[in-house]
Amino acid sequence: MASQSGSGPMRVLVTGGSGLIGKAIEHVVMKDGEKREGEHWIFLSSKDANLMDLEQTRAVFEKHRPTHVIHLAAKVGGLYLHMRENLYFLRDNLRINDNVLQTAHAMGVTKVVSCLSSCIFPDKTTYPIDETMIHNGPPHESNYGYSHAKRMIDVQNRAYFGQYGHRYTAVIPTNVFGPHDNFNEDEGHVLTAIMNKTYKAKRDNTTLNVWGSGKPLRQFIFSMDIGRLMVWVLREYDEVNPIILSVGEEDEVSIQEAVEMIAEALEFKGQIHYDTSLSDGQLKKTANNAKLRRYLPDFTFTPLREGIKLTCDWFVKNYEHART
Amino acid sequence: MAACHTGPKRVLVTGGSGLVGRAIQHVINEEGGGKEGEEWIFLSSKDADLMNKEETQAVFQKHKPTHVIHLAAMVGGLFKNMRVNLDFWRNNIYINDNVLQAAHEVDAVKVVSCLSTCIFPDKTTYPIDETMIHNGPPHKSNFGYSYAKRMIDVHNRAYFEQNGRSYTSVIPTNVFGPHDNFNIEDGHVLPGLIHKAYIAQKEGKPLVVWGSGTPRRQFIYSLDLARLVLWVLRDYNEVEPIILSVGEEEEVSIKEAAKAVVRALDFKGEVVYDTDKSDGQFKKTASNAKLMRYLPNFAFTPFEKAMKDTCDWFVANYDNARK
Repeated sequence: MASQSGSGPMRVLVTGGSGLIGKAIEHVVMKDGEKREGEHWIFLSSKDANLMDLEQTRAVFEKHRPTHVIHLAAKVGGLYLHMRENLYFLRDNLRINDNVLQTAHAMGVTKVVSCLSSCIFPDKTTYPIDETMIHNGPPHESNYGYSHAKRMIDVQNRAYFGQYGHRYTAVIPTNVFGPHDNFNEDEGHVLTAIMNKTYKAKRDNTTLNVWGSGKPLRQFIFSMDIGRLMVWVLREYDEVNPIILSVGEEDEVSIQEAVEMIAEALEFKGQIHYDTSLSDGQLKKTANNAKLRRYLPDFTFTPLREGIKLTCDWFVKNYEHART
Repeated sequence: MAACHTGPKRVLVTGGSGLVGRAIQHVINEEGGGKEGEEWIFLSSKDADLMNKEETQAVFQKHKPTHVIHLAAMVGGLFKNMRVNLDFWRNNIYINDNVLQAAHEVDAVKVVSCLSTCIFPDKTTYPIDETMIHNGPPHKSNFGYSYAKRMIDVHNRAYFEQNGRSYTSVIPTNVFGPHDNFNIEDGHVLPGLIHKAYIAQKEGKPLVVWGSGTPRRQFIYSLDLARLVLWVLRDYNEVEPIILSVGEEEEVSIKEAAKAVVRALDFKGEVVYDTDKSDGQFKKTASNAKLMRYLPNFAFTPFEKAMKDTCDWFVANYDNARK
């Protein structure tokens, strides 16, 4: 088994490189000076390879010969899409993940950092959630297909470590948002879907309709913060067990509070209506970031209001080609 | 949505040459377990490599089953699982995804897959029941296999919700019988003991049992399991899985099982326990209450008789037995 032992500069392949987190990492690496001398960073999108196809996955790995991989590519979506298509979320993500991990193994990649999510944790649980609890019970009904598929990344990482000694690992962000997100009202995640709705409601002088009661609580993390943290994980975090990347518990907000920050950022002055006949999804998913804090006690997160403002400004400026 | 199948069944059995597959064959061919007009096809790995999507699709297209009993898997005893958890995980995920998707694409109305009590959470209360499968991580020794098997249940739910399919699964406890894998390194505990005792008898040596002999298991004879799987195929309509096992009171220790092997083979030598070797899970006691609600009068073959029949089969078929 050929294994580059990291004595030369890294060649880092980022799958899902054109997505929300991929673009954030690209910004952090290429614009914020995180890239080191001699390093090579390649950001893949679905145009470069369909990772559901093993041959295409192999071909793109052979082309770039990475020493490291940040694996972000997945079939993702907001609450309502999951509820309709659990089977596809399960099957497609199992396939993508196996293609990427197995190809990385076959080509002697030193390290793979994959991306889980706090939405995959057990539904019936105590709070706050921490990294040891991922498999402690069934996930929430609404997205069990996605959740099980993502959990299996952790299983697969441990199996690669047990059978071959690979230190493939995973991060667990809470709700990420930022520029280059999916702002589609039906399929995007909550903040960006609401930004899109608010933009339109302001433009068309209508009521802003928020799905659900506004009561669920979330920890939102700005994509640039995730980008910086993931580069740190790639370079310095050596455990096979996953690590939660999140703001602290004290920074949890309700959907309603977030909606109000969005309205303020977009200067929306109209009516806001909460449609309580529609599903809220999970009421809370409070995650503990103590492990991250032990490693990086001084890391400063972008305040939520500022992250929302930056994202709204980006959205307004890039409305024509944003993913809507 | 679900095709309501009223015509005669064409049943495809994957893993048809294995322990459970052979038992089903026996029940169909020798015990009148089949019904008028039914067609039964027993596949083995020679017919298709189910880890390969194209081969799986081809064999399903060829036979166009209305029903599937899905037994094919990468399986093995404790020590093999501990060595290659990754392979158990990956190979079984592929087999199961290929089979379920192929069944869906040919419009099979029912698939009965096979789980196992070894996939349940390690830290748990006893007895285990069907609702508890996903309530915590499985035992470390075979986590790859366990998670892959658990995913069958997740797939079944998703196929039901998204496509209305009645795909379900059974959860046997430790199965044993003729046509098992008697390989000492890779097989399960009872056939392993039978093979070892046979050799020990021939060579005049002690029977060395791996582990302390204290772990406890519920053993189910393959012919009993086959009769129950046929009932599930025909009459069990839930998507939720069902445990197929003898009752909790029939649980025995490995030591008691070893003694039963000794009696069945008339082994005259010494029995020793190698406590340096792993015991695996201490217990996996499963409740068969759900089965008993459906079939209160089902009679399991007594353990001593099943053991005797299996040992007799092994001795008579030593040359071609899988070992």
